[in-house]
Amino acid sequence: MSGSWLRRAIMLVGLAALAACQRPPPAPAPADAAPPAVRYVDHVAAGEVLPPGATPQNPHRGDAAVARNGALLFNSMNCDGCHGTDASGWVGPALGDGRWRYGGSDAEIFASIYYGRPKGMPAFGGTLGPEGIWTLVTYLQSLPVPKDEATESWEP
Amino acid sequence: MSASIIAAGREERGVYENPSNKGRSRPGAVVRLFLAGWALLAGFGARAAEPPRGEWTMPAGDYATTRYSPLADITTANAARLHPVWTFSSGVLGGHEGQPLVIGQTMYVVTPWPNVLYAFDLSREGYPLRWKYRPNVSPNAIGISCCDVVNRGAAYAAGKIVYNLLDGHTVAVDATSGREVWNVQSADLGNGETMTMAPVIIKDRVIIGASGGEFGIYGWLKALDLSDGHVLWTARNSGPDTEVLAKPGVFRAPYDEGTDLGARSWANDSWKTAGAPVWGWISYDPELDLLYYGTGNAAPYNAEQRLGDNKWTASVLARRPGDGSLVWAYQFTPHDNWDYDSTGAMVLVDLPIAGKTTHALVHFDKNGFAYTLDRTNGKLLSATSFVPVTWASSIDLTSGRPVLVDAKQTGATRGNVTGICPSLEGGVSPSSPPAYSPRTHLFYSSTNNLCMDFESRRSTRLKGTPYMGVNSPYHPGPGGYRGSFMAWDAVSGRKVWENKEDFPTWSGALVTAGDVAFYGTLDGYFKSIDARSGKVLSKFKVGSGVIGNPITFRAPDGRQYVAVYAGYGGDWALLTGDIRSEDPADVRAPVDYMKDIGRHTSQGGLIWIFGL
Ligand code: HEC
Repeated sequence: MSGSWLRRAIMLVGLAALAACQRPPPAPAPADAAPPAVRYVDHVAAGEVLPPGATPQNPHRGDAAVARNGALLFNSMNCDGCHGTDASGWVGPALGDGRWRYGGSDAEIFASIYYGRPKGMPAFGGTLGPEGIWTLVTYLQSLPVPKDEATESWEP
Repeated sequence: MSASIIAAGREERGVYENPSNKGRSRPGAVVRLFLAGWALLAGFGARAAEPPRGEWTMPAGDYATTRYSPLADITTANAARLHPVWTFSSGVLGGHEGQPLVIGQTMYVVTPWPNVLYAFDLSREGYPLRWKYRPNVSPNAIGISCCDVVNRGAAYAAGKIVYNLLDGHTVAVDATSGREVWNVQSADLGNGETMTMAPVIIKDRVIIGASGGEFGIYGWLKALDLSDGHVLWTARNSGPDTEVLAKPGVFRAPYDEGTDLGARSWANDSWKTAGAPVWGWISYDPELDLLYYGTGNAAPYNAEQRLGDNKWTASVLARRPGDGSLVWAYQFTPHDNWDYDSTGAMVLVDLPIAGKTTHALVHFDKNGFAYTLDRTNGKLLSATSFVPVTWASSIDLTSGRPVLVDAKQTGATRGNVTGICPSLEGGVSPSSPPAYSPRTHLFYSSTNNLCMDFESRRSTRLKGTPYMGVNSPYHPGPGGYRGSFMAWDAVSGRKVWENKEDFPTWSGALVTAGDVAFYGTLDGYFKSIDARSGKVLSKFKVGSGVIGNPITFRAPDGRQYVAVYAGYGGDWALLTGDIRSEDPADVRAPVDYMKDIGRHTSQGGLIWIFGL
């Protein structure tokens, strides 16, 4: 099976999901131009000057239609196979619990999906491109975060 | 160091003729293997190719995979005195499936990822480590493991411990020095292949297979050369005869005619991403010179993307170890649409059936039926259910096929199909192998009493990501218990007794000549029971749920001991709730069918040894 054939098929899946979007395609995000970098909040920026492209922001944050697309993409890209139905957690961690291994800022969630993470998170940047990744980020950010309850008790 | 190991049993390890090997230099026609042992064992006249008694040199104890030990110091009369004599943390959190090996005065333990190999010196107080081997294994494999980062154990031959790493490497380690002898890449992680099964060594061949039924792999079995790890043959579990190694005049399917069955039983060439992983156990009959193994589920879970029988997924295959050629194959679940892997053990026993001794193969399938086959030709002798089953009403002995219940067939156009029993965890998990006692003539097995709903949808294959398309929540089966440990009579096809357990039972079984059987529970008890009645003789809470397989051995002090792993896990469906404590950034609701398990156990690997 040729890789490029497969890749085209995947792009089609992604595009089909995006095509379901009600709105006209958004203006290209800045992330399209420069490779998105990650700014870890506790990094010190020399001279307090951040490098360009250091804090990419989700161009669709809060957009419910994009989030709905992202939910479709989450299943069609097989994210659910690793993160469970509705991102509730499986081999990959729960993504709607409000807690993050690698940070929950726009840029950090983007980087997790775009570049992958070491303990088995595949890089999707090559298959989906920045626009697809932002769509997924928008979906994950739309998940209702339950109250963070640190205690679980079995007492009546 | 080797001075402390006195050769007692001696095994002649033959080699297979290998046309492709002509011209390769070989150390000799027969590799003489001096199995480690001690003077005590010298009296046991071990048959050639059978491990000397008192050791545990193969994953299942013997080639027939009976998990029976002739040791009889521990009996039904004294087992109540069993107590822990030693424990050791593996330092690893993943589910501890599999079992230790005991060779000479050393106990070998392989952990889940990152697949550390420990060698404990049983001749010294406190069993200190002789060495430990820490391979460089990729963490990327964690994401590709469908069902926790488990390892089902190592094999031993010719002074080497051989096992698989989760990231698709197979390694051979010198059993005395702990130094790596070879390390080869056997499976392709990028294509969704991981390795979790325990290899079996037949003469000069290491037999291995790959996991990845959830990733649409093209499942295979391979033989590696024991001396350097190079691939001698690769047999696919689906596809045309040339790939499956089904040769005219050699292969004969008991219930099918024609060529290329492994390709023609798949619409649209879907055999190329068949699944059919090999993640369970391999057995071997030296007299017939046949090896037996089960294949896993068909991919994807949405069966409408692969119309046809989907041979040889969910099947048992019999092959010649010499060249891999297929001799016969029988499919337990044609057109698997419930994730019913058949990777559970194929136990080889001779049974009196219809008045004559039959070379039988007994298998407890995920699909809820216990099968007895004629292992010379794959013909079905009997099949009866051992847990509640709703997907089929029976297995037709004439055609060898299940009699299906239409309402329980699944597929993307069938929506959410409810009330399917057993669940896709199986009537028993294939990772929980049974035991057979030639004294009681009974099989012993864990069971799960779980049912499921199954809603599948179209799935796209994207290398390195799951190829599934399903949502399948479980619920407890009828009767208000979730698992059991049972004794089974394979001649009559009947359950003889059953110990109901609150939780699904996920451990392997062990039975001894003292007529004591052993198993562990998910809530963390290790139990010894009377093999004739099931009566509990002793139990001890071992610190974490048990999904490993108990073994028994005679230590250098001359006494019989029983070893088992504690270490909850083995499936992400078990690892929800607050079972996991190591990751503050991962919070999950407890699963509906087992909300209470977190009260009784959490993750963590421990090796336990019990004695009188
Ligand atoms: C092959 C399995 C697999 C697939 C497919 C997969 N993930 Fe992951 N994902 C993981 C694992 C495992 C981790 C944890 C990695 C680590 O800790 O290094 C993870 C981590 C993440 C994280 C970081 C979570 C955190 O707490 O910081 C995000 C976000 C994420 N995945 C989103 C996705 C999305 C969106 C998709 C689909 C485009 C996806 N994943 C597909 C396995 C997978």
